[in-house]
Amino acid sequence: MVTNDVAKSWILLNNEIMIKHDDEFSLHKDKEAVRAYFLEYVNKNTVFFYTLKEKIDYLIENNYYINFYEWFTFEEMEQVYNFINAKKFRFPSFMSAFKFFQSYALRDDSGEKFLERYEDRVAAVSLFLARHEGVDRALQYAELLINQEYQPATPTFLNAGKKRSGELVSCFLDEIGDNLNGIGYAVDSAMKLSSIGGGVSFNISKIRARGEAIKGVEGRAGGVLPIMKILEDTFSYANQLGQRPGAGAVYLNIFHSDIEEFLDCKKINVDEKVRIKSLSIGVIIPDKFMELAAKDEPCYLIHPHTVMQEYGKYLDELDMDEMYDELITNPKIKKKKINARHLLVKIAQTQKESGYPYIFFKENANRQHALNGIGKVKFSNLCTEIMQISEVSDINIYGQEDTIRYGISCNLGSLNIATVMDNKRIEQAVKTAMRALTMVSDVTDIAMVPSIQKANRELHSVGLGAMNLHGYLAKNFIMYESEEALDFANVFFMMVNYYSLQASMEIARERKTTFTGFEKTAYADGTYFDKYVNQDYFPTTIKVSELFAGIDIPTKEDWKALKQQVQEHGVYHAYRIAIAPNQSTSYIMNATASVMPIVDTIEVREYGDSTTYYPMPYLTNENYFYYKSAYDMDQMKVLRLVSVIQRHVDQGISTILHTNSRDTTRDLARYYIYAHKVGLKSLYYTRTRKSTIDECVSCSA
Amino acid sequence: MKQYKAVNWNDPENDYALMFWEQNIKQFWIDTEYIPSKDIDSWKALSPEMRECYKKALGGLTLLDTLQSHTGMPKIMDHIDSLQNKSVLAYMCMMEAIHAKSYSTIFTTVATSQDIEDIFNWVQNNKYLQFKASTIDKYYRKLAETDISKEDLFMGLCASVLLESFLFYSGFFIPLWLCGQGHMVASADIIKKIIADESIHGVFVGLLAQDVYKKLPNPERAKEKLIVLLNDLYENELKYTEEIYTDVGLTAEVKEYVRYNANKALMNLGFEPTFEVKRVNPIVLNGLNVETTQHDFFSKKSTNYEKATEIVHLRDEDFAMDTSIAI
Repeated sequence: MVTNDVAKSWILLNNEIMIKHDDEFSLHKDKEAVRAYFLEYVNKNTVFFYTLKEKIDYLIENNYYINFYEWFTFEEMEQVYNFINAKKFRFPSFMSAFKFFQSYALRDDSGEKFLERYEDRVAAVSLFLARHEGVDRALQYAELLINQEYQPATPTFLNAGKKRSGELVSCFLDEIGDNLNGIGYAVDSAMKLSSIGGGVSFNISKIRARGEAIKGVEGRAGGVLPIMKILEDTFSYANQLGQRPGAGAVYLNIFHSDIEEFLDCKKINVDEKVRIKSLSIGVIIPDKFMELAAKDEPCYLIHPHTVMQEYGKYLDELDMDEMYDELITNPKIKKKKINARHLLVKIAQTQKESGYPYIFFKENANRQHALNGIGKVKFSNLCTEIMQISEVSDINIYGQEDTIRYGISCNLGSLNIATVMDNKRIEQAVKTAMRALTMVSDVTDIAMVPSIQKANRELHSVGLGAMNLHGYLAKNFIMYESEEALDFANVFFMMVNYYSLQASMEIARERKTTFTGFEKTAYADGTYFDKYVNQDYFPTTIKVSELFAGIDIPTKEDWKALKQQVQEHGVYHAYRIAIAPNQSTSYIMNATASVMPIVDTIEVREYGDSTTYYPMPYLTNENYFYYKSAYDMDQMKVLRLVSVIQRHVDQGISTILHTNSRDTTRDLARYYIYAHKVGLKSLYYTRTRKSTIDECVSCSA
Repeated sequence: MKQYKAVNWNDPENDYALMFWEQNIKQFWIDTEYIPSKDIDSWKALSPEMRECYKKALGGLTLLDTLQSHTGMPKIMDHIDSLQNKSVLAYMCMMEAIHAKSYSTIFTTVATSQDIEDIFNWVQNNKYLQFKASTIDKYYRKLAETDISKEDLFMGLCASVLLESFLFYSGFFIPLWLCGQGHMVASADIIKKIIADESIHGVFVGLLAQDVYKKLPNPERAKEKLIVLLNDLYENELKYTEEIYTDVGLTAEVKEYVRYNANKALMNLGFEPTFEVKRVNPIVLNGLNVETTQHDFFSKKSTNYEKATEIVHLRDEDFAMDTSIAI
């Protein structure tokens, strides 16, 4: 008997894209794969309803949807569905259809039948987000989503409107205090946040180093590694009922004396006891360190507990520019001499072997930071785009009051640059997206982790991002590395900044409230606007001017008016913009991910549960040339483009370095130096294209 | 009196030893870096026939890697004059041992002790598998003799290439095929690492064989012997394929794949392909591509990273780059 229920025709067809005829890939096979996928799988496995009423009632009565009748009449809902269906949405690639049905579409409780198509998900998200504002707002969201102008982050898009669902926010950060209560609070938070699907990042720079004193006895502390081990196991345990593995990151200040051990945990041949497999790691680099490396002066790693004992402050809260000389001359501070350049090379080596660590340039993140009057940005998140103030909470024993301070909570979403530009709807898209993000913040209340709850309640931070930059440039015959790309990014992201700030001011005006501490910020004193009120940001090249034809670009006069309104009404969100790497969601949108360059004209995409071939959006034989792989680009030019975008982004940008295995550690370290100098706040993964023997033989021949 | 020589890497003995050495070092990995435990649910979801097929395929692979690391590589090494080539072989030998162990890592993670015992018993008693091993081993044993002809050496090298580039692949088919459709993906990371290694091993030993072939007094006779050996192994491979793949309905596709790889083995030895191949399953063919793929760091471990061998330090001028941006 033959038992083979694994073979799927659509996967075969999708794989057949890679078969070359006359030196061209079989791109048409992708359309065949979409068709086969619908005919042989999706349609057969979708529950059919005779009428919309029957569908909505069934979904509500069977506990799939929340009771939308509490907020809308059936006629209103029908209006939203009809509007969406009239747009006749079709999935443009197998990847987008496959990703949607595999990961986002609502299924029945058996997990076998689909209860939603893409249109239904869009309607449910729109109704959910607009439920306190009425059908007109729902129609605005519906238009934004079905036009594929904006894509909420996975937790929002996946969960909105569902009765039994996870949280709508995905991204959390917190500090860890250097005591058992603080560590316990962190592990507890990690488990809870991970169980609701969040990615969690911790700053472990405050933890005393290996060999430091505990209760005055020297040599007792275990350092940061054991805590990383605990966190790693915690994340893998709390995995959303097995749906997806928990994900977490830890950041360590580069001056912390455990830094070398911290980096070694990712090396290929390292002892099992100190190897960290699934936890992501990041290094916090203050300017002082880069200065020591530039001057090639000796660099001292500091034992943080001795700093606490001497100054009553945590090492990573100190301004290293001010305190470094003091620390190295004070004999009570325990330290270890190393070579800063060698440490940069060690980071490069670790990146070549593992892609890690992320890099967070602390002073770059604080230089343009509008909230400096309230606090500092100390570290970043799992994707290195969230950059907000944080402060460690004091956790006490049972029966004594804790002092809860700011953790970080962020909810994200991304504009699709190509559709927003083509539809000439930057203003509407940004403002409607800001409303959607605000709604998510409003309905989120993570009571089980009070520091996260406090941050969301008081700061209402969101992170509006963007995707499809390379796709949009390529379809308009602009090279990603060109001056025109810089020109485009400079204007586009200035506009995102302008309209998101305007939206935030409008929401503050409507609600008659701002985020806590607004009066202490650069928005309130007006200095934030200096660079915009003195200079216009218009396109400087002909090509880019043409792209913006018919679109109003805010002038310095507009900025002056906005400044005045902001000072009068305040702003609602402490943070507004953050450019996430958005992987899965960019597939649904048939977009190139984030603002990063593509890696291949046909991307081989590996997930934990599938491998898919994904031809890049808008790719044709005519524009093939513009789809240059990130691995073939000058990384300095990529960083240069990111730095131009960064000027208009209040948080960060997930920036991936694409290197080849022949690149040396020096090449990588030069990218860090360049990124630091041009003002990048962080670097995300380093990806490496492998060399193979074929390639070696051919270039040696 | 015999003079003992030390391997001198400062003086290249040929134009490829160093390149292969470096590529091997870069590809270094160990099984415990990977996380096959992520596949436990996937394993349980497979049909019993599919699980049986998978276990047997991996059992067969374990036997071949054992043979290669315990006998093949050490025996070949004895007859290779270039000390640098010897070093490369010694390294490859060590990797073969890691391969042989890594199948056990997958077994231990997903299968029960009883299952594992059954599989190793099956390996010892399966006549096709034993035929493969004994056929190859015969040529390796010949190399154990001190005085052998160039032709014996050539045939030993051929046996090694056939094993690396041809016989392995009936076993690799199922993990690649499942992985391409989203099953047993974490274990396939290990399999892909093995394939990346085997592919350079086959090329390297193939080059050594070609060097020897050029110096043979009667190359035609050697080539005929090779073809006879290949055909014997091929016939056996078809039967082996039927035995493990019929219950899951993949026999025809695996046979096509076996022919495809037989051709590859011939090409590694410098000969023209002889088998007619119509269409190899594209999922498996794409899975074989050992080049870089995109992945999501949170959902799986990458197979893309390699040991850093290009350590170069920073200089003063690196800190004085031009960082002006026109816009």
